[in-house]
Amino acid sequence: MENKTVQILKAKRRALWRQRFMENWRVFMRNPLGRIGMSLLVMFGLMAVCSYIPPMIDPMYHPMTGVDPKVVSSVGPSWQHWLGTDFMGRDIFSQLLAGARVAFLVGVSAAFMSVVLGTAVGMTAGYMGRFTDTALMRLADMIMVLPTLLVVLMLAALFGQLSIWMIVLMIALFRWPGVSRIIRAQTLSLKQRPFIDAARVSGASHLRIIFRHIMPNVLPLAFLYMTFRVTSAIVIEAGLAFLGFGDPGTVSWGMMLQWVWKTGYMFQAPYWLLPPGICISLITLSFYMLGRAMDEVLDPRLRDETQAG
Amino acid sequence: MSESREHKTILQLEQVSRFYRTRGNVFRGGGRLVVALNKINLSLRQGEIFGLVGESGSGKTTCGRLIVRLEEPDEGRITLGGEDITHLKGKKLKDYRRQVQMVFQDPYQSLNPQVTIADSVAEPLITNKLGDPLDHLERVLKVLDTAGLSPSEDYVYRFPHQLSGGQRQRVAIARAIVLEPSLLVADEPTSMLDASYSAQIFEILQGVRDNMGATIMFITHSMASARYLCDRIGVIYRGHLVEQGPAEQVINAPQHPYTKALIDATPKFGRSSEVPTYGTLLAAERPATSSAGCPFFRRCALAERLLCAGTYPPWHDVAPEQVALCHLLQDAAPAASSG
Repeated sequence: MENKTVQILKAKRRALWRQRFMENWRVFMRNPLGRIGMSLLVMFGLMAVCSYIPPMIDPMYHPMTGVDPKVVSSVGPSWQHWLGTDFMGRDIFSQLLAGARVAFLVGVSAAFMSVVLGTAVGMTAGYMGRFTDTALMRLADMIMVLPTLLVVLMLAALFGQLSIWMIVLMIALFRWPGVSRIIRAQTLSLKQRPFIDAARVSGASHLRIIFRHIMPNVLPLAFLYMTFRVTSAIVIEAGLAFLGFGDPGTVSWGMMLQWVWKTGYMFQAPYWLLPPGICISLITLSFYMLGRAMDEVLDPRLRDETQAG
Repeated sequence: MSESREHKTILQLEQVSRFYRTRGNVFRGGGRLVVALNKINLSLRQGEIFGLVGESGSGKTTCGRLIVRLEEPDEGRITLGGEDITHLKGKKLKDYRRQVQMVFQDPYQSLNPQVTIADSVAEPLITNKLGDPLDHLERVLKVLDTAGLSPSEDYVYRFPHQLSGGQRQRVAIARAIVLEPSLLVADEPTSMLDASYSAQIFEILQGVRDNMGATIMFITHSMASARYLCDRIGVIYRGHLVEQGPAEQVINAPQHPYTKALIDATPKFGRSSEVPTYGTLLAAERPATSSAGCPFFRRCALAERLLCAGTYPPWHDVAPEQVALCHLLQDAAPAASSG
């Protein structure tokens, strides 16, 4: 084939994918939930990125180790400390910024891991069927009924302080069954569709059918569930930290809440109590709204309803 | 048309049966055997278009799926060019499928919605590792042109939902013929399409036969399209092949009561009378006393209670190349029954 035709075709291919992306983006942004969620998320993203700045200005703004020598107990907002300081003179604003970073880290990595695991298990169970399906789904049931926070608390009590990565891993290991159930159901219905038969007649192997034909069809759903998993991972981490089982080496919002509570400033220092609380609520809300808007992108049947209402 | 070719058999089904088990278990009254195909004997000749006609649920799709080996027959033997393919597995099955391809009924379901047209059509080339991506693209463009999607450059990089039903079915045909198979199973390729598209699809199929020398098994419920397209016709009823012969002969002089009923059921343009030509179909089903009798006994208006209900009918050579499965043709001389 001449080079020119190939060039033109490549351009067409790029245009196709761009068009597809733009279409989805438009639907997503038309949804008010999507817009709000996205802007909140951008804000938190900025906070996470900006968390590196205060310690560079002055070491006393370091969220963990930086102490303002002039402050002996918690003081309210000032020019020096925009949100005040905690009981030993650490800057609350820079702690809040650092908390955003931890929230993203915990939320996204735990969600990613549990969704990868859930999708792999779900697709295997759905595609293989029979004994594999039964075995994997019973295992999923067993894990699903375990109360995650309680089990992680017990493990934390058993093994002493858990590092932040251990917590992420625990959340991932306990939160995959929900995803795998949904992916399995989707795989079961996809497996019956004629295009899978067509792929078989074309000579595709089982692996190729799973990765090339089933996975692209379940990935959007998996991605959707990831946003909901992010929410639950952040809440679990905050809960653990508040109860005193968090990673003592990181400054997370849950950790900040624990410090307020432990040092008895709960009702004396609203400038200290409220910001992390509000941030936890808003970030979970924003991921949830993101998921809802994405739901609409993935399921065109939901679109008209929103336009009418 | 078939006279000009030598009658070389390419595909043969010998005594092929397929059973399904109903859902449920012994406690819930399930687990009964349902016969989808009962001892089918068929042979397809090189380069012909063979029409398999029957009502829904008659087993015609099952027959197609057995041939491309999406399912395995429970009994009997299938041979392609003399080679037994009944229970092929793994690499041999893959090699077999390079020669035998299928076009599915519903073009809205048979293309992966997440895969571009180019990748869908190139799928057989990729799985069989034929050439590099550039070769694939070239062959895809060519085969899309053959399937009537031109300029093919405009279609390759689209998703299925951006095409109409007729266009999708062309893509499905393109995917089936990209390996230049020797046998193509077309499972009601036009039943989901408008009549105007159907004629175009028929033309493409004829082109595939004429230019690539492929043999086509055309599965349909419509006598009209079978007549238009096919060289020979087999009529199937509840898993039993009941009549087989050259298309013109079967349609102009049907012998089996069920074939006659099918032709009666074909809508005829501009004829006001509702009187059927043959009237072989019973308005209400009659109960069958035994399962050993003629499969069509329950709905046959001509059936004789003792003979038809009790024993399985024999095959009769009713005309040159035309055979039918019926007790009542026993006495009829081949020439006399054409009235």
